Amino acid sequence: METGEEFGPWLARQLKLAGKTQAELADELDLTRAAVSAWITGRSTPRPTVMVDIARALGTDVGTVHTRNTDTQAGLPVTWYHRPGYPDGGRDLGNAAAFAFDADVQVLARETCQNSLDERLTENGRPVKVRYTLHELTGEALGAFREAILWNDLFPHYSAVSETAGTQKVGRVVDAGVRDMYEKGRLVLLRVDDYNASGLIGDDYSDGKFAAVVRRQLESLKSGPGAGGSYGLGKATLWATSALGLVLINSTLSVPHEGRTERRVIGRLELPWREVDGESYAGPAWFGRPDPDSPGAMVARSWWADEETVENLYLARENDEPGTSFLIVGAHDVAGLAAQSSDPDDLPIGDEEDVDTRDIKTMHARLVEALGRDFWAAMTGGGSRLPLLEVSVRALRNGEEVVAEQRVDPSVEQPSRTRALRAYYEGTTVSRLTEAGQVAERNVPLKLPLSGGAHGTFGTHQAVLLVTEAEGDKDGAKNRMHSLRGNRMTVKRSVVQRLPANTNPFQAVLLVGEAAGETAPFAKEAEEFLRAAEPPEHDRWGQTEELTLRWSPSAYRRINALTADANNAVRELVARPKRGGGEGAEALRKALTVRPRPKAKSPTGPVVPVLDGLEATVGDAGEWQITGEVSIPRGDEIVPMVPVAQLDVRSGGRPRLDWAELVGVEGCEAENGTLRFTPGARRAKFRGTTDVTSHAVRTTLTRLVVELRAGKGSDA
Amino acid sequence: MKFYPYKRLNRPVTLRVTSVSLKLSDGTRDQLETTAYSTQQQAVALGIAGHTDWVSATVGLSVTLPPGANAPDAAWSDLCVLAVLTDGETNVRTSANLTLDVEGGRDWSGSLEVFRDDHLGRASLAVYAVGTVDGVRGRSIAETDRNWVIDAVSDEPVHGLRLNVQKASFRKSAREWLQVYADAPWVVDTSARVPTVFVNTDVEGIIDLLDSSGSGVDSKVRDLLVAQMATDVWTAVFHGAIGDLEVDPAGGPVFPTDWQGEVLREMLPDVIPGVHVEEALRQVHRRRTGDSGWTELQTRIHYAAVRRADASKALAFVIRGLEQMNRESET
Repeated sequence: METGEEFGPWLARQLKLAGKTQAELADELDLTRAAVSAWITGRSTPRPTVMVDIARALGTDVGTVHTRNTDTQAGLPVTWYHRPGYPDGGRDLGNAAAFAFDADVQVLARETCQNSLDERLTENGRPVKVRYTLHELTGEALGAFREAILWNDLFPHYSAVSETAGTQKVGRVVDAGVRDMYEKGRLVLLRVDDYNASGLIGDDYSDGKFAAVVRRQLESLKSGPGAGGSYGLGKATLWATSALGLVLINSTLSVPHEGRTERRVIGRLELPWREVDGESYAGPAWFGRPDPDSPGAMVARSWWADEETVENLYLARENDEPGTSFLIVGAHDVAGLAAQSSDPDDLPIGDEEDVDTRDIKTMHARLVEALGRDFWAAMTGGGSRLPLLEVSVRALRNGEEVVAEQRVDPSVEQPSRTRALRAYYEGTTVSRLTEAGQVAERNVPLKLPLSGGAHGTFGTHQAVLLVTEAEGDKDGAKNRMHSLRGNRMTVKRSVVQRLPANTNPFQAVLLVGEAAGETAPFAKEAEEFLRAAEPPEHDRWGQTEELTLRWSPSAYRRINALTADANNAVRELVARPKRGGGEGAEALRKALTVRPRPKAKSPTGPVVPVLDGLEATVGDAGEWQITGEVSIPRGDEIVPMVPVAQLDVRSGGRPRLDWAELVGVEGCEAENGTLRFTPGARRAKFRGTTDVTSHAVRTTLTRLVVELRAGKGSDA
Repeated sequence: MKFYPYKRLNRPVTLRVTSVSLKLSDGTRDQLETTAYSTQQQAVALGIAGHTDWVSATVGLSVTLPPGANAPDAAWSDLCVLAVLTDGETNVRTSANLTLDVEGGRDWSGSLEVFRDDHLGRASLAVYAVGTVDGVRGRSIAETDRNWVIDAVSDEPVHGLRLNVQKASFRKSAREWLQVYADAPWVVDTSARVPTVFVNTDVEGIIDLLDSSGSGVDSKVRDLLVAQMATDVWTAVFHGAIGDLEVDPAGGPVFPTDWQGEVLREMLPDVIPGVHVEEALRQVHRRRTGDSGWTELQTRIHYAAVRRADASKALAFVIRGLEQMNRESET
């Protein structure tokens, strides 16, 4: 049997957790205190029969006592620990790191997915799997969940914060979050799971990924130098997305801690300074088991939860693969509102009345959109390169699926760019574009500066530029260049300017640093340089403090030069260079090109009705029977119109058909083949039957053209 | 408004050009770059590579039929898709059968062979989905809504007709008829295949002025000159186009299929606003051939030309430039 730690130290910790003394245990077991002391100091071990008694006394099963790879569930219950107010009376009215982000699920998607990519377990070569689950709770399910997170203990803190809502931003957000839950009787949970990632390893307090995420601000402990993040800001988006400032975490570790790997659980709450029952609290709070080693056994630390607990907290993971689940309680998406109002066409789902910041269908659509846009490259494989990332999104309401789990497919979200990257991995690129669907490849130099402000170039990195025809507007706006580095997340989206109007729509990808391949010269150095040039928003490369400090204040110009070169290379590939000289007089040529112009103003005077709809059938005798609908512009005087029936021909004049009958049905009267409209009418209807004797061919083989002509209509 | 005596699809066929290659007189092939065609403009410029000796061009096509074309309960059978190239000048029609990409799909592709000898300049490419409906074969079920233009000579893929500009010394030109106009800075010839503007190089400095670039007063004067020339040209081509129209048996005018048609379609809405172009053409034709109204129409024709030439914009720029110059010389 696999055993954890030595019996003595283990028993000592269980007693401490349970708040029992050695004497109390001795009493319960009907043994002397010396016997218990001998076990703890390791001088002896209890007999198997006594083990059963010990297990009962500690409220656990005998297996746990034998294996000792976990703590017993006995002792201080899981609770909330609120950091006490600063003794100097200082007040933090919110977490500054969280202020850097708006509540935007698209930003959350970018930051969390980037973190998962950075923490991917690389040895097995498999992609990291990330899953976003939107879960709306109402009714009983909501009640049960509130009980599980000890809502009643938290409520006084939320009330205290709400009181400050009038004057303070975080307070207002939290107040709105709590009110939405009570008024609409619902709570949206957004869960972010990753699998095949390292998980929150390390000690509760000392350096390690766990402490970096749960205990610290602005610390980034990324697994490699090519990592996407570098500021440690990204995790703040988790709390920024929660209207309640509350995030619960369940992690399966890749490296055992305290002999265990599964179900390491903790919660963290971000609230501003507050006063509850006369006590002041600094801000953050943790949901966990009180640590008996901390002063007064108050501080909550992570605990190894059982399966039922994680189930109740909506934190259950689907298998034992390492990785972390973040549960954002009270997720909302303020940025989604702006997107909804500015372009409703982009979001076909979500009813008009349902437009709010907590609509799970809208959030689902926005997540898929953002993940496809930012991470299409990481999800794309080809040749010997495997995808780094797999992402799916789903939405549930009280456990029922609302939007089925949808795997984000890069070839659907970004078809042209995915095709370009795949062609590059598979080595099927071409040097010039001669056919639709081809991918052209060019090298673009990035001259890396010497570090420490010295003049000169350290080395020239060759970035890879890929250009391909755009597939309609499926990739978003046309003629864009996406730039990415080793983590294969789109950093920069830029428009390629100064293109002729008849340029075929294209999409371009610029691979720099390690994205250009391991064999590219100075790939590592370029990677490092660009990482330093990336701001916390990860949306461009340019002047940053780090770049200035490590290289020089003008180092960013190297990136500008790269961009300019890349744009020129794109132009060479997609646009023909302007001919120099030639026949000259380019301006005159332009002025002599037939092209549609805005319509000239119609003259005032009698208004001209137009044919608006036409129904036609072929009658038994072979005549065309038609019903025409006419719309009439507003005007005092309406021009009488002559309906003309003709047969359509490929060239030459159209044979005209005579009317056998022509009557006005509504809004007009027919008189000698002319329609006279009722003054003030805006619509009219007429019916006509053609004279078969005027037909030149069999009616079923003809195409009918009906027109309304102004005036006499006799000469045409 | 058109009506067909059988069931059709309402939405148009979409057509894309995917590649262009030329077969040269020495038997070799030149695969042109994708800049030879423009999806935006829906135009193919076969003169782009500068070959004058090509024999034929192969244009790769990809077509998507509207939804419903392959519905199992559709009213048609024996569906086939044809690309048809029509040249209004030479009256040549070429068609090519396309093949279905994937069984049960709506994407068809194939290529069209364009022979140099069949075309003078611009030809129009459309795609028809054709099938048997109600027992009648060869009925068109859907078409492209906007034709592509395949230009055998142009070096730039532009959908609209582009008038020709030529420089010549009128006094010494081999075109003897130009000598009569030796004292004119430019003349317009509407009898050519495509209306041509001849710029008289004997007028010193006119070419330099037309070619000038930059932002100074020069360029503004150039714009004004261009506007003046363009007004002349558009007026001339309109009269040229309306001048000898074919008439149908009933006496009505028939829309021309070559450059005249393009010019008329473009200018008529400004000449007779508010009515259909066909109706506008009839009205203009009636006034020109009839007893009255032609003189009154001249103002409208002039207005249509001025609008096309962007004359007011050019004038405003010159005036602003002059004002600025005066102010600078005062200080």
